[in-house]
Amino acid sequence: MFGSLAALQPRQLAAQILNFALVLSTAFMLWKGLSVFTNSSSPIVVVLSGSMEPAFQRGDLLFLWNRGIETQVGEVVVYNVRGKDIPIVHRVIRRFGGGSAPLSLLTKGDNNAADDTELYAHDQSYLDRSKDVVGSVVGFVPFVGYVTILLSEYPWLKTAMLIFMAASVVLQRE
Amino acid sequence: MADARISPHALPDLKSTTDDALANYLRSLHFRQHHAKLDVRLALGYLGVAIAAATFAADYRLGWDATKRWTAVAVCAYAVVNGGFSWWIWQVEGGCVFEGVRGGKKISIASKTNKHDPTYHLAVTDAAGATREVQAPFTAWFTADGFFVARPFQQWLARSVGAIGEADAKNAASDAGGSEGGEIAAESEGFATGSGEAGGVETKGKGGKRLKRKG
Repeated sequence: MFGSLAALQPRQLAAQILNFALVLSTAFMLWKGLSVFTNSSSPIVVVLSGSMEPAFQRGDLLFLWNRGIETQVGEVVVYNVRGKDIPIVHRVIRRFGGGSAPLSLLTKGDNNAADDTELYAHDQSYLDRSKDVVGSVVGFVPFVGYVTILLSEYPWLKTAMLIFMAASVVLQRE
Repeated sequence: MADARISPHALPDLKSTTDDALANYLRSLHFRQHHAKLDVRLALGYLGVAIAAATFAADYRLGWDATKRWTAVAVCAYAVVNGGFSWWIWQVEGGCVFEGVRGGKKISIASKTNKHDPTYHLAVTDAAGATREVQAPFTAWFTADGFFVARPFQQWLARSVGAIGEADAKNAASDAGGSEGGEIAAESEGFATGSGEAGGVETKGKGGKRLKRKG
C-alpha cells in the first residue's frame, strides 16, 4: 500500500500531501468563515448536559448567531463562565441595561431549580452581553452532536480518525 | 513499481498508473520534463495552506476577539487562493500529464477517461501547436488481474505518436499484432494456456516464453 507512495516523484508526493493539507485547511477556513459571519467564536456548539430539557437534549447541535445585540428575556444563549472554557446553554430570565448602556443578563437552565448565580465566577452575579456571551441559539439539529461528545470522552478516537483520513486522502490518486 | 498490482475495475487507478508509466517512459527516452504547471499548482496550494496555518496560529495564541479582523481578511484571501488553485487545475492543467522537450522539439500530452468507459484518451500537442487525439483500451497493457505490462504500452505510444516514435525506433518498428483490440488474458506468472486471444503480447523467440499467442 505504501509502496505506491515510495514510487512517486518528489513533486507528486508533495502534491499528494497537499491534497490532505488542503482538506484540513479548507475545513478550518470554513469554520473560521462561519465564525466571522456569525461574529461568534464558536458558531456551532454541542449540548453537554440535560439542564435545558425538554427543549434541548444532551447531544443536540446548536447554531449560534452573535449579531443580535439586544438579547431579550426568553432567548437561549450560550456563554462561557469567566475563567473557564466550558460553554453553558441556558435561557435569559432577566436583563438590565440595554440601549446605550451595557447589557447585563441573568440566566437559568429550564431544567434547573435555581438560576445561574451559583455557576458564575466567584465575584460575578450577572453576564456581560458583549464579553461573556458566545451567541444566541437560532437553530438546532438533534443527536448529531453525540459524535463530538464521543470524541471528547475518548480522545484516542480523534487521533485514529485523523490518521485514517490522512491515509485515505494521501494514498488516493484521483 | 512494475510489480504493483491495482484493481483493473477502478478507472482512476488505471488512469493514474498509465499516466505515471507514460511520464517514466518519456523520461527514459531523454525527454526533459517541464514542471512549470505542477509547480504553479503546488505554489498556489501551499500558499493557501500557509494562510490557514497562520490563521490557526494567531487564533491559538491570541484568542478570537483579538484576531477577528485578521481572520476575516484571511478567510477572503484563502477563498481567492483556493479559487485560483481550482481554476488552475481545471482550466490550465486540463488533464496535462506530461510536458517536455527533446531535441529542441516540445511535446505536450494530456490524458482523459470517460466515465464507465475503459478507454485511455490522449491529446498530443506538438511544437507547432497542432493537437492529435489517440486512444486505446486499457486492456491493451493491463492483465486481467491488474498488472501493468510496459511493453505493449510503449509500442502503442511509439506507433501512435510521431515524436515518441522518433525517439524510440525499436518500439515503433516492432511487429507485435495491433494491441488495440487484444486482451492479455494470460496470467502474469507462469505459462499462458488456452484462451490468449490474437494480438496479445508477442515474445521475441529466445528466452523463456512467458506469454504465448494462440492461433
